[in-house]
Amino acid sequence: MTTMTRAESEPIDCRTAVQRLWDYLDGELDAVRLAEVTAHVERCAACDEHVQFARTFLTALSASRADVADATALRSRVVSALQREGFSSSWRVR
Amino acid sequence: MNDRDAHFEKSALTCLPDVARFARSLTRSESAADDLVQETFLRAYRGYASFQPGADVRRWLFTICHHAFLRIQEREQRMVLSSDGDDAELETLGAVMGHVAAQRSGLDAYVCSIDVGPAIRDAIEQLAAPYRLAVTLVDVEGMSYDEAAQVAAVPVGTIRSRLFRARRLLQEQLFEYARDLGFTGAADTTRTTRESVSITSPRPDQ
Repeated sequence: MTTMTRAESEPIDCRTAVQRLWDYLDGELDAVRLAEVTAHVERCAACDEHVQFARTFLTALSASRADVADATALRSRVVSALQREGFSSSWRVR
Repeated sequence: MNDRDAHFEKSALTCLPDVARFARSLTRSESAADDLVQETFLRAYRGYASFQPGADVRRWLFTICHHAFLRIQEREQRMVLSSDGDDAELETLGAVMGHVAAQRSGLDAYVCSIDVGPAIRDAIEQLAAPYRLAVTLVDVEGMSYDEAAQVAAVPVGTIRSRLFRARRLLQEQLFEYARDLGFTGAADTTRTTRESVSITSPRPDQ
């Protein structure tokens, strides 16, 4: 079996690299395409800036997660509904 | 308390905050989300015998929640339909072109220097349901494309194209937010985004 190493990957242009930008950051590229984008970004300052900005953007998206303020009250409501279906819980409904 | 109920409480009910957050993103309404969470757990409890031990219970609950949400939408005749062309690469290019335009005005550096959390939450709420679902599952809840596709019951390619469009739209909203905060850069990025930029051809030094 022949495995294409990073050194064997084909050079790609900027357009191809940025077309793969989101797949690259999401870890959704296969090994060959990943190596191609990685090699390109390492030598292309412009594309590297796009990657860095996109990474910052995705980090901000991930950090925007807002937890529900009062999950305890909601859990009490859900457990009450489940108990009407026969569910027995160690949870004390308030 | 029987074993089944004890196991349900230990595995499924501990995911309630996650399901509640997901339901909130789907419904954009606190009361509707609470109803959806209750419906989700009732369905999950009734169908718990079909749950495969060792499977991802959070993903299973998200799938039930999404299905319940769709049924509610169908009942209310408010189903949002969207076109899903195979345009993921174009959406990625669009996002990068938007960044190029923002770079020219310095807007990108400004966006990176401010707290954009509230703006992102507002922008996600404004997305149409299919896009909101994709970005919530992948970017907020950390699922892979494949996992998100299972929850949404659509092909992986559909999740991917919806996700990329959502990201482009959110990025544009962030730039708008920064301008509303008083950023006074040089360029009109709405106009320059549509211009041909350097990524349309290989750079000379490549």
